[in-house]
Amino acid sequence: SGELYCSLPNPRNVHFESINMKNVLHWSAPEGTGDGVLYKVKYAVYGIGKWIRKPECRNINRTWCDLSSETSDYEEQYYASVKAFLNGTCSDWMETTRFNPLTDTKIDPPMVSVSSTDRSISIILTAPEKWKRSPEEESISLLQVYPGLKYNVSVLNKKTKKRWFFSISNNTLVVPWLEPGTAYCVSAQIHVTTPLLDSAFSKEHCITTLKDK
Amino acid sequence: GDALLPAPQSISILSTNMKHFLTWSPVIVQGATVRYSVEFQGEYEREYTNGSWIPISECSLTTATLCNITEDISATVAYKLRVRAELGATRSQWGTTKGFFSRAMTSLTPPVLRVLADGHHVLVELADMGPSFQFHVLYWKKGQESRVWQKVVKEVSSVVHLDTMEAGAEYCVKAQTHVEAINRSSSFSPTQCVRAQGDTSMWL
Amino acid sequence: GACRVSMSMAEIRAGFTAIKADIQSRDPIRTLSILSHPHSLHKLKSSDRCCITHQLFTFYVDKVFKHCRTEDSFVNRKISSIANSFLSARRKLSQCHEQNNCMCGEESREKFKQILANYEGLNVTSAAMKSLGELDILLDWMEKS
Repeated sequence: SGELYCSLPNPRNVHFESINMKNVLHWSAPEGTGDGVLYKVKYAVYGIGKWIRKPECRNINRTWCDLSSETSDYEEQYYASVKAFLNGTCSDWMETTRFNPLTDTKIDPPMVSVSSTDRSISIILTAPEKWKRSPEEESISLLQVYPGLKYNVSVLNKKTKKRWFFSISNNTLVVPWLEPGTAYCVSAQIHVTTPLLDSAFSKEHCITTLKDK
Repeated sequence: GDALLPAPQSISILSTNMKHFLTWSPVIVQGATVRYSVEFQGEYEREYTNGSWIPISECSLTTATLCNITEDISATVAYKLRVRAELGATRSQWGTTKGFFSRAMTSLTPPVLRVLADGHHVLVELADMGPSFQFHVLYWKKGQESRVWQKVVKEVSSVVHLDTMEAGAEYCVKAQTHVEAINRSSSFSPTQCVRAQGDTSMWL
Repeated sequence: GACRVSMSMAEIRAGFTAIKADIQSRDPIRTLSILSHPHSLHKLKSSDRCCITHQLFTFYVDKVFKHCRTEDSFVNRKISSIANSFLSARRKLSQCHEQNNCMCGEESREKFKQILANYEGLNVTSAAMKSLGELDILLDWMEKS
């Protein structure tokens, strides 16, 4: 179909928001347009450049579109673009900057599980998984994606209010010789040196060491 | 023209712990404020872009006689620096550093280390010295100086756990900085010793 | 052969990240990639890694950085930082090459021929700017285990 005369203001701030490589295109509605604006979305693999329409995001009124499936190969880089329609007129196509899933994603904190004896606590950390299309699909840990991935672990003694930090490469940590009957709170962060990616610290997981036998 | 204004003299580079500064003597012109501009040239510029120079914008038309060049001396190659004086439209000749400067020449000072004991645990606090630095921390049980453990600490966010100690034993710790980019280390900090908590458990 | 070269990847990454948006915005061509199409670096055999890395560092030092001068002083300074880091790393890679620890197989020769063809398919400035904008493709590939 021939392109309409496009005098509608453009969608703004077209960008990817990515967490654990769940890559969602976001934008803001054109300035000064109320309700009723519809959008369509296309994307391209950098270096191939053939624009591909995203059918599930055709004539949508929301201002986001999940392109995780289309951008799941993190050895490629991508562009995406959005066009707005209202009352028979349209905007220009508005593009993202080049999106590199490997460096432009954010990483969730690791999962933390803690157990204790009377004088030690054991911490097991699990790195988040890369986004996948369906639960049946094989899981890929971000540990496989970022070989240099490390964990920073914080252990807070609730009685003395003293906080210790550990930096570990493997995902288990045992802290022996603790005080019995004392609450310890653990939180952990993922740290990748290059590309430089840090998750936030996980929420604290508190546990009390057993009373002295 | 340029001839009236003398070129800055005594141009030198002060470099400590991978922080590099260019300094020079002021050009004195009675009743006037002389400004200075600084440029740098790496080995790449000498070999591949006909010896071109790159201005450092933070030190363009500055009245200071000091310029922080750390951000620009960011590869382990030989650099040259130059500075000239400017007074209105008049510019001096460039004053250029004698010889070359490489960041490998920086002087490395021992880290600021604080050793703590908390129950059976020995911990260290290290002052952050920037992303180029990691710390080699050596520790041993007092009296067993031949058996030394080493831990490499990169993240110095706060109190870093070093190890657990045998009840009642005294442990000694010292540390040096290491800069991988130039593959050099500082001398060691003074040794500090702490004593682990005595064992509270009673044998009945 | 084995060729261990220490290189401040984090510094190069930081320098590139600081100018990535600027440099990539100067490359309007979506339909061509210098490094990743038609064949991806990731498909190369690991035995060819050292050779193609050496060739690519030589490519960037000889053909790319010097054609990327911009009107922006900050960008120029970061390009200089990356270029000098590449020069320093390339020197170490060359030593490996001279000690026959960096052998070139047929696959890497073919791949590098393709990269040069992609590069020569554009005018020098566009090709150089596109190549610089693809530095993260090279760094991503190098950092894969």
